[in-house]
Amino acid sequence: MNVETTDLAIIGAGPAGLAAACEARTLGLSVTVLDEQSAVGGQIYRNVVSAPRARSAILGPDYSAGAELVSAFASSGALHLDSAVVWNVATDGTIDYIREGRTRKLSGKYVLLASGAMERPFPIEGWTLPGVMGAGAAQILLKSAGALPREPVVLAGCGPLLYLLGWQYLRAGARIAALVDTTATSDYVRASRHLMGALRSWKELRKGLGLIAALRRSNIALYSGCSDLRAEGTCKVEALAFRQDGRSVRIPTSLLLVHQGVVPNTQLSWSVKAEHRWNKAQLCWEPVTDIWGRLGETALYVAGDSRSIVGAQASAVQGRLAALSIGNRLGVLPDITIRAAPYLESLKRYTAIRPFLDALYRPKDENRVPVSDKVVVCRCEEVTAGQIRRFVGLGCQGPNQTKAFGRCGMGPCQGRFCGLTVTETIARERQLEPADVGYYRIRPPIKPVLLGDFVE
Amino acid sequence: MSDRMIVIGGGLVGAAVAFGAAREGLGVCVLDQGDSAFRASRGNFGLVWVSSKGAEMPRYAAWSRDALKLWPDLQRELQELTGVDSGLRQVGGFWLGFSDKEMKARYELLSGISRAVDGIPFRMMEPSELRHYLPGLGPKVAGGSFCELDGDANPLMLLRALHSGLIEKGADIVSNVDVVQVRYDQSNGVFEAVAADGQRWQAERLVLAAGLGNARLAPQVGLQAPVKPSRGQVLITERLQPFLHYPMNKLRQTVEGSVQIGSSSEDVGFDDGTTPDVIEWQVKRAVAAFPALAKARLVRAWGALRPLAPDAYPIYEESESCPGAFVVTSHSGVTLAAAHCYVIGPWAAGLSQTPPDFADFSAERFRDPNKSFSHAH
Repeated sequence: MNVETTDLAIIGAGPAGLAAACEARTLGLSVTVLDEQSAVGGQIYRNVVSAPRARSAILGPDYSAGAELVSAFASSGALHLDSAVVWNVATDGTIDYIREGRTRKLSGKYVLLASGAMERPFPIEGWTLPGVMGAGAAQILLKSAGALPREPVVLAGCGPLLYLLGWQYLRAGARIAALVDTTATSDYVRASRHLMGALRSWKELRKGLGLIAALRRSNIALYSGCSDLRAEGTCKVEALAFRQDGRSVRIPTSLLLVHQGVVPNTQLSWSVKAEHRWNKAQLCWEPVTDIWGRLGETALYVAGDSRSIVGAQASAVQGRLAALSIGNRLGVLPDITIRAAPYLESLKRYTAIRPFLDALYRPKDENRVPVSDKVVVCRCEEVTAGQIRRFVGLGCQGPNQTKAFGRCGMGPCQGRFCGLTVTETIARERQLEPADVGYYRIRPPIKPVLLGDFVE
Repeated sequence: MSDRMIVIGGGLVGAAVAFGAAREGLGVCVLDQGDSAFRASRGNFGLVWVSSKGAEMPRYAAWSRDALKLWPDLQRELQELTGVDSGLRQVGGFWLGFSDKEMKARYELLSGISRAVDGIPFRMMEPSELRHYLPGLGPKVAGGSFCELDGDANPLMLLRALHSGLIEKGADIVSNVDVVQVRYDQSNGVFEAVAADGQRWQAERLVLAAGLGNARLAPQVGLQAPVKPSRGQVLITERLQPFLHYPMNKLRQTVEGSVQIGSSSEDVGFDDGTTPDVIEWQVKRAVAAFPALAKARLVRAWGALRPLAPDAYPIYEESESCPGAFVVTSHSGVTLAAAHCYVIGPWAAGLSQTPPDFADFSAERFRDPNKSFSHAH
């Protein structure tokens, strides 16, 4: 097979990948960016160039800011391979991907993994009913197709994206039946300890407060400190039931959008058997890297939300820092410190708000580890929390054995949607830390590929 | 001392032998590793198969044949005891050839085994006849062979059934144990297993069923298990409508609907990863066999390490210097499950005589310095 080569191969055309590409091009490196979508921008800047002006106005200034990065990338001289599905990455920098119905190879002297974040699962009763979806997924529909819910929608959970989507829906004229917030007073108390640090990111803080204030000014029913969330319905969702201040509330709806933050998409870094640690503040796995993002002694770097949730601006800076380090290793940037200094400084500024956000929007235990045995954890193979707990009773030690005990995690999603829940459920049951329980052994293909793609 | 037998290894081999002893009333303790162990059982292709086995060791061909006959009893017993279905289907199985040369070699191999061992019938088939059983076969298939004894099972469910059965029979299964040392006290005839973390277990009998771990443990009790890893890569598709009603040696559709493609044999040490070139080669062959598979999605690939003796045949042996210690090593944990349970279990428990002609399975065969081994299996 013909193997293309490049100095830097980047997987993912979101803020981290695009900024890394721009930075690497200024150093004269050859750059190839592989991305699954037909247009660059990642999830955050999805469709930013071709979105109609009215839609951009609804989505707000943070979204439009992506256009600048996208246009810098377009003139950077980096090669962009769109609609490319990466299914295998090796520590030496070799990538296998599918494009135009055929598997191909690309060999990077270095590879930057910038595959971004994914929505944290929200495993409560009824979450698999038709009509329940992630707020992030709903936002993708808004960005890519301008799609808005026709019926009044219920937003539930916590985290910046939930409020942002509520704000965007308001501006677009969509009807919001209720915003059900799981954030409790105790969360504000805990988060307040990190407020001083967060003030360094005062612009971000002000934006967030602005969103929430706008939602409060509207006529939306806002419920805060909610617990015992349950999606009700037989064939599809009919209502969201929950408790607030000791009373039961039930809000009928045909569309329930849930969200409790995003987590790093670590499938690629797991697949190369990189070391990962459990981030106790963000309650998720993150790959262990050096300050530039390099994975051990490999040809691989990680930047952006797939390394640790930092947001779009910090992701871009991490991408630039990784590019500088790679340039340094390839000998085109002998002294990295001068060029890196301002980036390291802005990285500090952009991430200063994180401890505050992590504390404030820490997803509730009951919404991460299902209380009810009935809750489906593995959607592909329909394995429930009760079954997983029974497997533990039979001697199942960790996620890899849940496959053997009951096909948990063996469906097409490769455990992306259930992995965190399975790890935390087993950890709780065995009274261990998630770090002691571990994660699925992720193997290629990272994404499902057609067998026919291997045949000429 | 409550346990009379320690079994090191909770994979398909260890669990089957342990269950065979426990069902006879013996107190059994199974010591199993943690979540990230190599676990060949998890990567097993799932065939219950005799065709082409034992060309150079007729005793092994007969042993596999007899194991197949015992399998329905094991399936029934585990189902009744635990409610877990091991998924046994003994409907006959096919091998596919892609050239006349492959067909000729296959015929010679199978007829040689058939001459040496009774009761292993086979039939060579032209593509036209194959298509009667395997609709959708591609034009590149030159022919095939069929054996009515062959079939398949679900290795994961078998493992789960054996573990549940062990618990039902009162056996102890201790997980997360990495046994680093085994020793024998000649004065009282007691074996002791010592784990890396210092835990210890004692019993009158000891079965080493630790797969690749046997190589290190066996010499400590006067046994030999010169096993080395042989990697098999297996691919699995999304669930498809049932279209393959018979298993093939490199391709089968599971009850759930997914199609398994495999399994390679590679000498790559302890690397249980997957490689794009092997994945590609296996996919090409599967699509050549059944062109409609081109439209199926590949959702998973995995590599697993078979514990393989130099001649790829099992090792079953009791220690002469440490009586009561047994080594059990085989990479055919599914095919041989019922024989491991109903024959090896009682033997290792001291409840039955050594089965006939078992000297053939002794590791003695590797001590001849002038002998070289082929790796066919």
